[in-house]
Amino acid sequence: MSSPSTLLPLEHLHPALWRAHQLGRGREAVQASGYAALDAELPGGGWPQRALTELLLSGTGWGEMRLLAPALARVGAAGRGVLLVGPPAEPCAEALAQLGLDLARCVVIRGDDLLWPLEQALRSGQAGAVVAWTPASLKGEALRRLQLAAQSHDGPAFVLRAAAAAAQPSPAPLRLALAGAGPDAMAVRVLKRRGPALEEPVLLALPPVLSRAARQRALTPRRTRATVRALSAIA
Amino acid sequence: MLWIGVHLPALSLECFVATLAPELPAGEQLVDDLDDIDLVGPVALIAQHRIVAANDAARASGVRCGQKRATALGLAPHLRLGEADPARDEAALMAVAHVLMGFTPAVSFGGDHVVLAEVQASLRYFGGLPRLVERLRAELAPLGHALRLACAPTPQGAQWMAVGGDDASFVADKARWRARVGAVPVARMAAAAPHRAALDALGLATAADLCRQPRAGLTRRFGSQLLADIDRALGDQPDPRTALQPAPVFDSRLELFMRADDSAALLTGAAVLLNRLTAWATAHHGLVGGFELRLHHESRRRMIEDPSLRTTTLDIGLGEPVADTAHLHALLRERLQRLPLAFSVIEMSLHCHSITPGAPPNTELFPSAASVGEGWSRLLERFEARLGAHNIQRLQPVADHRPERATAVRVGGDAAPARTRGAGQPLNLAPPLNMAASGDPAHWPRLKRPVWLLRQPQPLRDEAGTPLLAGKPLWLVAGPERIESGWWDGGYAARDYFIAQDHEGALLWVYRFRHAPEVSETGWYLQGRFG
Repeated sequence: MSSPSTLLPLEHLHPALWRAHQLGRGREAVQASGYAALDAELPGGGWPQRALTELLLSGTGWGEMRLLAPALARVGAAGRGVLLVGPPAEPCAEALAQLGLDLARCVVIRGDDLLWPLEQALRSGQAGAVVAWTPASLKGEALRRLQLAAQSHDGPAFVLRAAAAAAQPSPAPLRLALAGAGPDAMAVRVLKRRGPALEEPVLLALPPVLSRAARQRALTPRRTRATVRALSAIA
Repeated sequence: MLWIGVHLPALSLECFVATLAPELPAGEQLVDDLDDIDLVGPVALIAQHRIVAANDAARASGVRCGQKRATALGLAPHLRLGEADPARDEAALMAVAHVLMGFTPAVSFGGDHVVLAEVQASLRYFGGLPRLVERLRAELAPLGHALRLACAPTPQGAQWMAVGGDDASFVADKARWRARVGAVPVARMAAAAPHRAALDALGLATAADLCRQPRAGLTRRFGSQLLADIDRALGDQPDPRTALQPAPVFDSRLELFMRADDSAALLTGAAVLLNRLTAWATAHHGLVGGFELRLHHESRRRMIEDPSLRTTTLDIGLGEPVADTAHLHALLRERLQRLPLAFSVIEMSLHCHSITPGAPPNTELFPSAASVGEGWSRLLERFEARLGAHNIQRLQPVADHRPERATAVRVGGDAAPARTRGAGQPLNLAPPLNMAASGDPAHWPRLKRPVWLLRQPQPLRDEAGTPLLAGKPLWLVAGPERIESGWWDGGYAARDYFIAQDHEGALLWVYRFRHAPEVSETGWYLQGRFG
């Protein structure tokens, strides 16, 4: 019998192996999300590459772009392209630039049938990161195709879906539900990951929109009318 | 310089035989080479009522070139006669040129059914001349032509050697090359054709004989072209050739000699067109993504008065682009066998504009910035081709305070010229922050504009000064920020912007007009969301 010190921990035998109480260590490199609290809960310590990441949110404007911005900025800084497939509104160039995205390498794809470009982009492996807003009617089969295509995609791939899709099964190895948690903050609930379930949502402080004073106001809302009057007085 | 000359000695006959329905027991077998031509029985081509070409079976019965039609039919009653058709030959020759374009871009026609290709620069890639020739023969084989190949240091020399079917080995040594050109008989020289009788009478049989004569006298008698051709063959005179360009869209037609009533007969003709299609794809170094086969029906029948019934179109799309004739052939067979043919077919044409660039470049062990950029722009090109340039958008900030004008959209991929939607001075923002150094996103500088802007500001219901979104009040938490601009360009805007929070905590960008009471557009508007 060999001594315990020479025995390798079981999970070191193969990168795909992890114990049920441990977080899976990503086989592939990961892209750090930029949020230390979130990285700590993600297998491998960041957004997975070569796999779909599903983000479920109940609408637009919950801070989803601010959540993804650090990762997308790093992709751009590495000289690789970012694809925004079917965004829900007109992106504002100035805001994206302020979030650190390299606009020269950022391309917006629009059209009626977005599954084709999405799949091609993932399969080609030429895009640095892909963020896709998929229609609510996206079938599980289509998602499986995308997950297969994402295996040759060298970078993070985010699929944003409506929160209602949380009940449906998904082939994406990482599923997160995003919800607002007050001004400039976000609660990320991990629905599925390689590892034990996480009950508590992860609270993140997003890149701020509000000044400190405005955040205080937002946390203690008063009557709007009074606010307007007060703000006008300041102005 | 290393020229390869490819001569197709029986091109016209082969092209005609390809339009014949096979009469063999093995009906689906294609005509592969010259020997098979004889299996279809005696065949000859006529032009202006005289035989211009005959196959071995016809020649065995005594049919010779130059005979009259009636004489030939007398000698061989089963002789199948077809009109010589230069256009048909040219289409086949073009396919051969397309295959050669897969090896080198410098491909030209030499005349007399010869295709010339300069391959010096391609030798290293293909692993030397013998391997290149071997591969060339293998790639030309599916077209089903008898070939004569010759290698020479000059195009004119390659032409003569190929036509003569001489020893194909390449001679680099100048003296030996001169000797070889000297041995070329005048019969092979196109410029000598009008003067054959005179040259024979003078006893001038080869190029060497001509070279020995005084040049001035020869030029006076036979024109300058004859000696110029020899000089070009020897390499003493420059001989530039214009390289052929593959057509951007493939279109080839085949007129059937016999009416085709079943799919087997159609497939025989379609195979010829498919081979040409893959040759064309080779020339583009691409893969076929789909094609269209049009079957033209006999139009003399009174039944076909409706023009739409005169052709049947088979549109075959491929999931994965291929350059494999066998696969295309199999696909077509499936479709043709299921196709009910109302009328017999007399002509078919193949049309293809869907070509995708071939296999992605070999991945490098460590991808370089150049290879990444190339793949990226190729991806965008594909998107542009399929979705249209207007659906591929890049953003450019513009120096304008009005949010609806602060973003210019440039459509198209990398190759597209800069067509921007939205005018204004492009704004060069400070380079993106160094994210690695900036640390916690929570301490980034304040975001001044929302990521998402609504195309049309959404009017909000106003209840006693409070904006309502979907019936729920919004709390204003920051503002006002006054944007007043554009009185000079007709897009005057005077608005006070606020950051508002909805009942769920999401941050919105709303505004109201500065002069609200005076204008009709009172109340609140939703401009964007802080995504």
